[in-house]
Amino acid sequence: MNEKVKERLLSVLCAVISIGLFLGFWWWGTQRTQLGKLLPDPGTVFTAMCGYITGTVGKCSLLMHMLSSLRRVLIGFVIGSLAGVSLGLLMGRYALARAVFNPLYRVIRPIPPIAWIPISIIWLGLGEQAKIFLIILAAFANTTLNAMTGARDVDPELINAARMLGAKEGQIFRTIVIPAAVPAIFAGLQVGISSSWASVVAAEMIKAENGLGWIIQAGMDNNNMSQILAGIIMIGVGGFALTCIMRTIEGVMCRWNKSGR
Amino acid sequence: MMKIINKKSKYTLISIASVVFVIAVWYVCINVLHLKAETVFPGPLTVVKTFVQKLYTKAPDGATLPVHLFSSLKVALLGYFLGVVFGVPVGIMMAWSKWVDRFVRPLFDLIRPVPGLAWIPMFILLFGIGIISKAAVIFLSTAVACIVNSYTGIRQTKEEHLWVGDVFGATNVQKLFRIAIPTALPMIFTGLRVAMGAAWMALVAAELLAASEGLGYMIQQGRYSSKPALVFVGMLMIGIVGLVLDTALHWLEKKVAKGMNAE
Amino acid sequence: MEQERKINTMIECIHAGKIFHTPDGEHEVVKDLNFSTRENEFLVLFGPGQCGKTTIINMIAGFEDATTGQILAAGKKVEKPDVSRGVVFQSIALFPWMTAMQNVEYGLKIKGVGREERQKRAQRYIDLVGLKGFEKSFPVQLSGGMKQRVGIARAYCNEPEVMLMDEPFGALDAQTRYMMQEELQRIWSTEKRTVIFVTNNIEEAIYLADRIIVLTNCPATVKKEYEIDLPRPRNLVSEKFLALRKEITGILDSSQLEG
Repeated sequence: MNEKVKERLLSVLCAVISIGLFLGFWWWGTQRTQLGKLLPDPGTVFTAMCGYITGTVGKCSLLMHMLSSLRRVLIGFVIGSLAGVSLGLLMGRYALARAVFNPLYRVIRPIPPIAWIPISIIWLGLGEQAKIFLIILAAFANTTLNAMTGARDVDPELINAARMLGAKEGQIFRTIVIPAAVPAIFAGLQVGISSSWASVVAAEMIKAENGLGWIIQAGMDNNNMSQILAGIIMIGVGGFALTCIMRTIEGVMCRWNKSGR
Repeated sequence: MMKIINKKSKYTLISIASVVFVIAVWYVCINVLHLKAETVFPGPLTVVKTFVQKLYTKAPDGATLPVHLFSSLKVALLGYFLGVVFGVPVGIMMAWSKWVDRFVRPLFDLIRPVPGLAWIPMFILLFGIGIISKAAVIFLSTAVACIVNSYTGIRQTKEEHLWVGDVFGATNVQKLFRIAIPTALPMIFTGLRVAMGAAWMALVAAELLAASEGLGYMIQQGRYSSKPALVFVGMLMIGIVGLVLDTALHWLEKKVAKGMNAE
Repeated sequence: MEQERKINTMIECIHAGKIFHTPDGEHEVVKDLNFSTRENEFLVLFGPGQCGKTTIINMIAGFEDATTGQILAAGKKVEKPDVSRGVVFQSIALFPWMTAMQNVEYGLKIKGVGREERQKRAQRYIDLVGLKGFEKSFPVQLSGGMKQRVGIARAYCNEPEVMLMDEPFGALDAQTRYMMQEELQRIWSTEKRTVIFVTNNIEEAIYLADRIIVLTNCPATVKKEYEIDLPRPRNLVSEKFLALRKEITGILDSSQLEG
């Protein structure tokens, strides 16, 4: 116990020193070198960020921008991952479904969601729809494959066990295949949420009136490095929050997979 | 035996039928029923025609398809290579040395949740529109994926294996190169493949935003000049190249892994 | 005599055989297998090596088809798994996302038995296998022996007419294995069922069996049959036990030489 506390203190101390040194170098660089012409010092960025949060940047405050990005991600992610997981489970369990859909899926999967931006604008215009379409794609492409592998690799002994206890195919799919695939599904959802977050930022950078992607893009257009950095920080915070939420849900859903170790 | 073969070929036939069916529906909807104008949704024939033409014509974006492709590949591979050379050793060192871990990890954890492409505006302001800013974005995306996976890989080394090393009097460096790195190799390769995906995605994003060449630029120009067939060609090209790069890495992984086992 | 035998026979193997087709050619693992069970008997299929025994259980359970001959259960040809034939797996095969209780009541739930009723019935079998207090544990939290207790309770709770046990203690350490043999003997005495039990452990076979069928190795077929009428619970070091053990082991050696 004592050792553990010591180790914890030490790593916190090291983290503080490390980040402190980083900020120190940054500050020193902006004050004493050519870098100052390009980059604001950390204090300026911090003050600017506080201003963006309490005041406005563009039409609303920084937090509202983050909320609109999050809203797009959540809508798209829910639709895309539901579709992806369902299709993946079916493809994993039934050879017929795999034969029909897998060739088409394999054409779509290697195209990064971001490469769909131009065509989605042609099809759906510059509004919300095009962005949500993009996130649906990002979530779909990443979750399908994992759900498929998860459903395909269910231990055949478990299926036999269910059969000898009287389960019919439909019951096996619902009570055995789906829960057995949950860890694999969550691995896919985890990648899917990161990819969706990156996609929303990209979509907002191309064309939007709000959102974190817009913040950094507008910052570039106005040559405002503080705004870009504030945006990047918020993008990091958002990405981190989404990953944490996914992990927490996974922890609850997959309690049986890890507990006792 | 025959039954199994028949079953397999049956599903292959279904797969082919499924693809043919989708292309047929696509053709009928666009070219027969004219449900959408070809300036919005091109028919399959137009896409093929555009692809062939783009191999040698420069309109509307000033370069042929091979030139765009080469330009994209050049930037992607440059950034990727630098990212791997930087990321893999850093990941290994973080996992191997507690002190490196304590000092580098906090900084790394700050950068990690930011998607690589979010750095594009900053790098464009710092380095201007050009190969450096794009390569820098790809470098970052690659390095993050490589660090994460190399780190995890080294951490998977079994303590017992290291004890064996101790018994035979191996030095710390020997233990790292003879035990830990070989253990981590599969994870490192996973990292290389994840990084390639991330790099390719970051490149497309960068080219969409600010470029005068490359596949991303080409599809963006296709949109501006209302030539969705060109956008289709570009997207398929991006997908195919991504797939080829991934397959190549997979092949390399198998080769190297085999070599390790033979030793 | 003939008449009586038929009524009591639950499982009959008639010239049953299994040939696997692999890329290396045909592989015969079970050949011309003939035996039938008697009511409530503890029948042990004992044989060396890894070959054929699991396939026999899989065929009786209905997981795999016999390629030659046939297998009858209560006079009807076995074509697919059925609730009348419960299986205890060597790999245990508990549903890892269900608690011990949920595993045991799974069969009843599938049948549509109401919550209260099925928990009551499941509880009885959990108590019977000695797992009271572990109802809410997930399989990862249980030891190997406890997991297999859940496996046995799960099969019993569905009230099958025949229990098929495929080396159920094969994955356990020696100490736990002895304990589980005693437990199984006790459970079986409380809940009489026809049991077909596969093992490659001679002591386990003699300790548990009413009758032992010795199988040859690859392809598996009946080598010899032994009626074991030692009084239960059996003493592992009694003279008779040791004599039987010596005799069957002797058969085994010669059959292995032939194979």
